[in-house]
Amino acid sequence: MEVIKTNYTLVYYLTNTVGMIKINNLNFGYSKHKPLFKNMSMQLSNGHIYGLLGKNGAGKSSLLKNLAGLVYAQSGTLEVMGFTPAKRQPALLEQICFIPEEFYLPSVKIDSYVKANAPFYKNFNHSYFFELLKEFDIPANNKLIDMSYGQKKKFIIAFGLATEAKLVIMDEPTNGLDIPSKAQFRKIMASALTDDRCIIISTHQVRDLDNLIDTVIMLDENDVALKASVEEITNKLTFKKVKELDESIIYAEPSLSGYNAVMPNYHNEDSKLDMELLFNAILAEKIKFKPLFN
Amino acid sequence: MNNTFNINRFGLLLKRQWLDFGKIYLISLLVVAGVLIGFYFWNTPSLIKYKNFNNVMQFRYGLFLTLGFIFISVVASSYFALLGQKARATLELMTPASTFEKFLGGVFYTAIISVATYLVLFYVIDLSFVKYINAHLTEFKLDGDNNSLVKPAESITADILNDENHLKYFLHFIAVPFLITSIFLLGSVYFNRFHYIKTAISVMIFSGVATYVTYKTASILTQGLVYVHHEGNQNNRDSTLLFILLITSALTLIFWTIAYIRLKEKEV
Repeated sequence: MEVIKTNYTLVYYLTNTVGMIKINNLNFGYSKHKPLFKNMSMQLSNGHIYGLLGKNGAGKSSLLKNLAGLVYAQSGTLEVMGFTPAKRQPALLEQICFIPEEFYLPSVKIDSYVKANAPFYKNFNHSYFFELLKEFDIPANNKLIDMSYGQKKKFIIAFGLATEAKLVIMDEPTNGLDIPSKAQFRKIMASALTDDRCIIISTHQVRDLDNLIDTVIMLDENDVALKASVEEITNKLTFKKVKELDESIIYAEPSLSGYNAVMPNYHNEDSKLDMELLFNAILAEKIKFKPLFN
Repeated sequence: MNNTFNINRFGLLLKRQWLDFGKIYLISLLVVAGVLIGFYFWNTPSLIKYKNFNNVMQFRYGLFLTLGFIFISVVASSYFALLGQKARATLELMTPASTFEKFLGGVFYTAIISVATYLVLFYVIDLSFVKYINAHLTEFKLDGDNNSLVKPAESITADILNDENHLKYFLHFIAVPFLITSIFLLGSVYFNRFHYIKTAISVMIFSGVATYVTYKTASILTQGLVYVHHEGNQNNRDSTLLFILLITSALTLIFWTIAYIRLKEKEV
């Protein structure tokens, strides 16, 4: 009965736009005296590409590991598609594509790797996998150990996406990719987003993913400092180049021709989200931004 | 989908683990075969000097036990060693199989496959040398008498199976290799680095403390008492052997259980 119930739960989460990930009062830290997350709560839904941003040590990778069940929280609840990731149940694991920053690949040919690992994922799409390899310019008969870091990274991204997993978690996916590969990556990820999929990308290189991310999650001081869609941010804030500072500006950085500024969007102006500026602004003026996004 | 055990998924997992573990395992097996053959070449006596080969092939027992211990302990110690490396641990833990299946895979390769292949390898090499010796018996003379032939050599397996006493000991110590693999398998999950040496040191410390405590407790409990001898030497020995079998089996199960729990708790 429990098995049937679990499968129904999974079908429900995959066919409805709901909180695919529910985090409630999560407390986590590598030592009891130094918590990384204090009572963190948020919900993430399918059909979105989330960009996870934060300073070094803010807990981006740790949050991703919590979602994948690679570490255990001290208290609070964490639900992914109705499962508790810490239980590491195969039904959930086959729905998670986790691309870590540091990865390992065995010394075998691509073909052998796929033969050994693909059968674990019942939705594995072989033709899509070879399409992705082609797109990434990786010869299908390569031996994994002989490939460069960037090629290996592209290989695990291709394999991960071909599993058709509903939750795609990527930790610094563009690290080690050359300029053409970053463009290929953006194109592939944009096409990989479907209504039943949730993609979370953690990155320091915000410019790499500027046009890809639809929702920004920013971590700071043991909690979520900002979680808002790009649309919501550009509705509430405007990003401008100004010559002089005035009182309406929440945050500004000097530039060659004046200042790059963030200010409330009182006049419904259209502006392009400057992710780097927003990141610095939130970190510097968290209190001023809080009322805007609550 | 059964999230604890599924036979198809377990089969896939064994196949997948072989891809990584198999190469190192086969290389270790080749090394063991080389060492065995080397020892047999070095120690097999000159036929002309001996009447009974079994007497001079006693080295086989020491070799069997020492090399067997090293082989199965090294294999068990290396199985989950990859979990000490972040990148490899992530790949392993994210593989869609249950922790129970991953643990059973470990038991299968370290306790069943490694012990079985070692026994088969030893048997084949030993039998080959014995056959070789026996095939050349007629070429040797004993004490200058052309008609008197030396007694044929026996394989170690035949030696154990044909001797009631040897067989009894063998059967009662049958859980020992599993105990060794369970301890080193636990060590490979528990420690992140230097698994083998850390496990060996832990076992030494634990055994030393346990022996000392047992000795001291027995000394205190039997202080002022005298040993009364009854006609029951055989029974005492039998019950001791039975205790050894039961205790080694129980300890094996305990260490496997702890290894499973540690595997479940493993974080990256």
